[in-house]
Amino acid sequence: MIVKTIELTRTYRRSSSNIVAVNKVNIEVKETTFVSVIGPSGSGKTTLLNLIGLNDHPTSGKILFMGKDVSHLTDGERRKLRLQNIGFIFQTFNLLPTLTALENVELPMALAGLKPKAQKERATKLLESVGLVHRLSHKPKELSAGEMQRVAIARALANDPEMIIADEPTGELDSKTAKETIALLFDINRKEKTTVIVATHDEKIVDVADTIYTIQDGKLRLES
Amino acid sequence: MSMVAITVTIASYTTAIREMNTFFMGDILVVSKSQIVIQALPISGGNLIETIENDVKGTPGVKATVPLLFLFGTELRSALEVVPINITVGISPGNWTVLTGSTPLRSGGNWPSTNTVDEIIVGCCLADVYDITVNSTIKIKGHDLTVRGILETRSAILGRTIIIPLKTAQEIYHYPMTVSMIVVKPEEGVDVKEVADRIEGKLNDPIERIMALTSDERNSIIDPLLDEVNMWNLGISGVLFVTSVTIVTLVAMINVSERRRDFATLDALGASFTSKVLIVITEIGFIGLLGSLIGIFLGAIATVTIVSIYTNIPIQMLFPDIFTMISPLLLTKTVGCMVTASCVAGLIPAIVAARTSIADILRAEY
Repeated sequence: MIVKTIELTRTYRRSSSNIVAVNKVNIEVKETTFVSVIGPSGSGKTTLLNLIGLNDHPTSGKILFMGKDVSHLTDGERRKLRLQNIGFIFQTFNLLPTLTALENVELPMALAGLKPKAQKERATKLLESVGLVHRLSHKPKELSAGEMQRVAIARALANDPEMIIADEPTGELDSKTAKETIALLFDINRKEKTTVIVATHDEKIVDVADTIYTIQDGKLRLES
Repeated sequence: MSMVAITVTIASYTTAIREMNTFFMGDILVVSKSQIVIQALPISGGNLIETIENDVKGTPGVKATVPLLFLFGTELRSALEVVPINITVGISPGNWTVLTGSTPLRSGGNWPSTNTVDEIIVGCCLADVYDITVNSTIKIKGHDLTVRGILETRSAILGRTIIIPLKTAQEIYHYPMTVSMIVVKPEEGVDVKEVADRIEGKLNDPIERIMALTSDERNSIIDPLLDEVNMWNLGISGVLFVTSVTIVTLVAMINVSERRRDFATLDALGASFTSKVLIVITEIGFIGLLGSLIGIFLGAIATVTIVSIYTNIPIQMLFPDIFTMISPLLLTKTVGCMVTASCVAGLIPAIVAARTSIADILRAEY
């Protein structure tokens, strides 16, 4: 089991009321599986992925990552785990605008302390694998939405993570590009044996997922 | 930029005043009791009767005396004028070097003969401004005078000085038998203060009418003024420093807040707190470096222009001196100071950036 949560809860204080974004969620994600979490906007998908991706602290409950309880790790320890084991893909790509496609992919490797030459070689290889070898020196604003998402996917793979977390990866893409992106993620899951957890309401993703969860008002339910 | 311009300009004022101290170093200046003396220049007040020189000369310990008549250009345009547009000095021929020291003459020039009445020496600034050449004739108050030499100097004072034989100066400017001060060269090995006291004792009996000022006494008159100028300079620098740090902080805060998503992305990718702080500090430090270099460059131009306006020295003469006015040490200090200030000012924005969490950003978006 790569990720397991026990009674995972996250509440926020907004004005005078408490909002329960994730409510006693129990989820189990096996290694190398493709998991899809579906739910309407505001249902708690992003909060759940932030908790699983160690970007956020739970209010209560436990998160076990690769068998280890990571609920109470310090920010520094969580950062190291993220850097080495988790790749992120965002709906709005979140590429750094001042860096080229190559530099964006090199960034996680630089943060991990890889030598510049090795960074460049691996980043080029990754961009080649997502079909962007001709766009190495282009900045994000010079790329199409689909290309930007492919750079983001290459970046997520930079440090050869155990798990990729994708939050609405096709939300900003047209249907053709969305289909290509899904195929790419599915390919990574199958060939690289990388666990993929996707929050979405794109039915095409649901079609390829091994496990499907639905989330509504912070409550998670296993669909299939 | 303004910090450099203002502080350097003020520094140039104090330098100009300090420069005056190099005149008549070690000599005693005998001036009227009512005279205001700034370092070596009798700025305003009463003059002396020329015959007083004989009394001074007869004082034990006095080796030589040189009477001088100072006449300042009356067209002062501003109270901020460091030195007047021109200074006319009447000095007995043969004693030119008492005033000029080892200052050379522009090529083709000669020192006037010792018995001359109509030969003069002109400072290079005046010569350049008024296109005066060696052996040309200039008219001062209806008198034709021949320019025998042009002083080649960067001194703000000598550069605008017209040196005229004493008798001629007294005649032209209607100061018969009058001098502004007497430069007293003491004998070697004597106590200068003692000689000055003797002169005062002799000439102030029964009526107190003169001052005999040693170099130390002249310094002690001007030091409080220089200290005050320097204090103001420090105060202005301090205010400008605080202002620039505040502006850098604000700009950096705006910059960081506009790039919250980028810092949040770095957070998600696993960038450490330190590396995020360093990114911001490096960026701001680099901006500080560029800003200070541009500031010094523009400040230097501003300074040269301001000094040129205030001192009437042609701007082209000041440009080669830019590294004297703004020394490499000052450059280094300013750049170092500005880069450090920028980094310090960027600390709070850097911490704000480093604390940006992807969870907060995504929660705010969705």
